[in-house]
Amino acid sequence: MKEQMTRLLNCAVIAIAVMLTASSLLAHHSFAMFDQSKSVELRGTVKSFRWSNPHVFIQLLVRNEGSDDEEWSIEMTSPEHLARVGWKPGTLKPGDKVTLIIHPMRAGVKGGQYLSGTGTDGPLIGSPQPSQGEGK
Amino acid sequence: MILRGLATPTAILLGCLGTVGPMQAGLPDWSGQWENVGATPDATGGFNQSLDQVLRTLQWGPPNKPEVQERVDRIVAMERKRLEAVARGEDPGGAVRACTFGYPALMLDSPLMFEVLPTPKETTLIFSSREIRHVYTDGRQHTPKDELWATPWGDSIGHWEGQTLVIDTIAVKSPFASSESGGVAVLAFGDVEGEQTIAILSSQAHFIERIRMLDKNHLEDRMTVIDATSLTAPWRISRTYERVAHVHRMVYEDCEGEERNPIVDGHFTLAPPPSPAGSRE
Repeated sequence: MKEQMTRLLNCAVIAIAVMLTASSLLAHHSFAMFDQSKSVELRGTVKSFRWSNPHVFIQLLVRNEGSDDEEWSIEMTSPEHLARVGWKPGTLKPGDKVTLIIHPMRAGVKGGQYLSGTGTDGPLIGSPQPSQGEGK
Repeated sequence: MILRGLATPTAILLGCLGTVGPMQAGLPDWSGQWENVGATPDATGGFNQSLDQVLRTLQWGPPNKPEVQERVDRIVAMERKRLEAVARGEDPGGAVRACTFGYPALMLDSPLMFEVLPTPKETTLIFSSREIRHVYTDGRQHTPKDELWATPWGDSIGHWEGQTLVIDTIAVKSPFASSESGGVAVLAFGDVEGEQTIAILSSQAHFIERIRMLDKNHLEDRMTVIDATSLTAPWRISRTYERVAHVHRMVYEDCEGEERNPIVDGHFTLAPPPSPAGSRE
């Protein structure tokens, strides 16, 4: 819970910081279009990991019982920021099975803001270790 | 022995000629990438530290004149309304596309990493936003008044005091100046309660920095801002930068790239980048 609150606050910090330092950057860098009050768990298969400026995306295929796969677009931060914490263009590959925690889009679009993730080998880079837990 | 005796003056001579690296010229080796402690991003786009840590690290307290403080308060109120609109997923309006942070935000508050390249005649600071500060250390004076105009990065000259680079900067014009600020909003920060910190400086502001290495993984910048138009006293502020751990070359930002969050019918949407060419999706 504390971890979630910290993330919430941090996202708010950067959103405001970006707005105030550069309203021009708002459309690119604000994460306020995501519902910061909700965290959703998505289990799926990576369709593609799109390493691109200004923001990186994970395209995730989520299997729904009795229906076709749904494709979700999960927005991360910039390649520059991700590289600094250890992410690389090849960190995720098509076919990887992952569970992602996201803040969903407000408008009901199948998309969200990346918060953390777990792959078959354990937590993704920067994600809390299982013992740190986030109440998933 | 003779060769050893010749080594130092030779290095100095070559250094003066600009033909050897900074170490040989007696300048410090600040190679590598640096990031502002307290503004280090995590994978979510937030920071690796808690809000309290961030705000404590990013000390802020310009000694504003009362009339400047009133303008700051107006900006805070305006931005709070904008934030509320964004939080509803709505376009707050007024956005234009530009990606320049400018000085002194680049040194004080940007989440961008940078490189520092000291050479005998010039030290260059290169930021991941592809902004560059040129600090001339060849003994020249500031650009003459009839050739000088304010820019987002200012006009910088410097000199070395031992291993400390002293930089003198004038003629700064913030890329973020708004009609409300009427000047330079060099930084803003805040939390969910709307506690925000902004500085409005005039184009007459004079910046003096002292940059030195604290240890092999930390640089320090002690900045003094003198602005008789906006401040009641010199404003002293410092920042510490640490060596970036996971990358060993510059990775550039490009926020003027493709739009990822276009506004449709007044609301933000998502627009992922296209599939890489040749991918088998």
